Amino acid sequence: MRSDKIIETELLELLPKDRANDPTGKRLAELLARISMKKIPVNSFSRIWTLGSLQARVTAGYLAYWLRSRFRNADEKQRLKSEAHLAAALQLFGAMGYLRGAVMKVGQMLANLPEVVPEEFAEVLSALHFEAPPMHFAMVREVFLDEFGREPEELFATFDRQAFAAASLGQVHRARLHSGEEVAVKIQYPGIARTIKADLRNLRLLLQPLCLTIDWQDTLAKLADIERMLLMETDYTQEAMFCKLARSAFTAADQVVVPRIYDDYSTARVLTAEYLPGCHINDFLATDPGQGERDHFTRLLTVATYRLYYRLHWLPADPHPGNFIFMPDGRLGLIDFGCTLMLNDEEWIFSNVAIQAALDRDLPGLNRSMARACRFDDPDDMEPDHLEVIRQGFYWFMEPWQQEGLFDFGDRDFFMRGIDNVMEATRKGYTRSLPMTIWSNRFTFGGRAFCYKLKGRCEFRDIYLQESAGVQPNHT
Amino acid sequence: MRISEQAKQENRSRILDKAAEIFNSKGFEDSTTRDIALAAGLAAGTLFNYFPSKETLAMTMVSEALVQGREDYLRRCTGREDLAEELFLFVASGLRRLRPLRPFLGPVLERSLSPFPRKNVCHEGETARQEHLAAVQAILVRQGFTEAPDYVAMTMYWSLYLGILAFWSNDTSPNQEASQALIDYSIRMFVQLITGSGAAGGDEHAE
Repeated sequence: MRSDKIIETELLELLPKDRANDPTGKRLAELLARISMKKIPVNSFSRIWTLGSLQARVTAGYLAYWLRSRFRNADEKQRLKSEAHLAAALQLFGAMGYLRGAVMKVGQMLANLPEVVPEEFAEVLSALHFEAPPMHFAMVREVFLDEFGREPEELFATFDRQAFAAASLGQVHRARLHSGEEVAVKIQYPGIARTIKADLRNLRLLLQPLCLTIDWQDTLAKLADIERMLLMETDYTQEAMFCKLARSAFTAADQVVVPRIYDDYSTARVLTAEYLPGCHINDFLATDPGQGERDHFTRLLTVATYRLYYRLHWLPADPHPGNFIFMPDGRLGLIDFGCTLMLNDEEWIFSNVAIQAALDRDLPGLNRSMARACRFDDPDDMEPDHLEVIRQGFYWFMEPWQQEGLFDFGDRDFFMRGIDNVMEATRKGYTRSLPMTIWSNRFTFGGRAFCYKLKGRCEFRDIYLQESAGVQPNHT
Repeated sequence: MRISEQAKQENRSRILDKAAEIFNSKGFEDSTTRDIALAAGLAAGTLFNYFPSKETLAMTMVSEALVQGREDYLRRCTGREDLAEELFLFVASGLRRLRPLRPFLGPVLERSLSPFPRKNVCHEGETARQEHLAAVQAILVRQGFTEAPDYVAMTMYWSLYLGILAFWSNDTSPNQEASQALIDYSIRMFVQLITGSGAAGGDEHAE
């Protein structure tokens, strides 16, 4: 156990510094120390950790830094009032148990700034996901009695007491059906949707007095979108529907498999799917696979994601490594469609217009798309540097699309350029954007981080041409 | 005229059935013993031979449900549960049996299980409390506690349990799932209190 003093010193080094008002970062550290020592109001099961760990405090520190910049020019009285709300908001943020995994990971990454290395960045991005507190078996049994009127051991031939994986807002147990099939049963923590709604409502209330700039609307829109996606993850009926649609998008020749859903054993809170044998990326890499194998899985992953994008207009926005299974027979398994962004027609057209403008090297068209992504009416309304940074980021995204032959996603320089761009945009405060960009960024960076880790290559352009040829017109 | 023991039992269970129906449709406060006697085909005076008051009648249902809940818990217990899990199983099994009574339970529990000093202590309520706490003690013994927790710990347990009951009887979430989270959290808190362990659950996901 490290002493608080060491943590404070380390924290001071790691926190961002405000050159004008807080050059040593001391005031920020004091703010964090003050709230991390306070006990959290206990009104929900998830209020079970404080901003005690270094990682959590670093994350909160960056959030505070970013929010504070919004009231830098306010008068003293207003500033103090805002700080009080900020402290309360950060405290609540630290208490959202289901965000804990995500907060820790972001903290780990920020703690390494500015010397962040691509490997760490890849690790962090690919591991971000929402978690619920673990349930003991007695609680799982209660969920089963409510959902099916039967105990898990009655419903299934066998059922493992211990969960084998944490999942989006729940956990997964292995089981076997009476008919013999091996299945993975995902069970949701009771009442998690309610907690998420209550937390986000409180967070908005606490943040409200900070709404001093026009960007407040942007923050609100993003919070609303995060809430929408989190709540979507709590609806396993919808996820079952996503799984079935995704499953129908692939044939045996694709070597991409989405598990079959067992409807008789699934409800809004319990999702039973075929168990896919295989391992996750770390275990796969531990076998020291050859380049051929790495390339093979990179190709399958690319085909899979762009098939879903072009055929179903989806962004699989949860690139958590646990969602990809390297199967022993060389197939790639895709599981967990809880966090899937279904683009509406407007978003779908917007997304493709931007891609086409970049492919056609149509600069005015691309600028218009970038301005829209950043919620400006016209590129001329943006600072030239702002437009330039965002456009560079999009060019980076488009690089694989424009290269003939093999594209190497394991190339360190390529990956590093993408990170540098994100860092630059964040540092300069160019974060205003359409809510869908939260998910498209998560999709892009998560996928690329995964392929970087895999050190894989694929003929991306050919895959794009092949998949976009099977493009579906608009939904409506 | 003396009636047989069998007829007595039949009357008793008919009264309980009819009372449950009437409490459910009219609510506890607005139901009268007269309504219940009438529905059971008995004279009001005869009903009092079985249950001296409306409160006793309702609390008898609660006690019987809790006895069934205890039986369910014992049947469901695998012996592999840790303390928090076993307490959860016990409390949840009881609530599941109480579920049919939920629509009218609030005022019944308020009258019969209130921890505040009262003129007339409800005998059935007091028995239910003692039996519940005895079952908790038995769980603690099975989990390796050689000394019974003192009155402070047991009072805190009972306060948490009453809080759960109060919340649950008013819980509008589907299948009272919000209550399940509350039970989980309350029990973790109690276990933390009596074991002095720092973890309050959820730490398995910590990095």
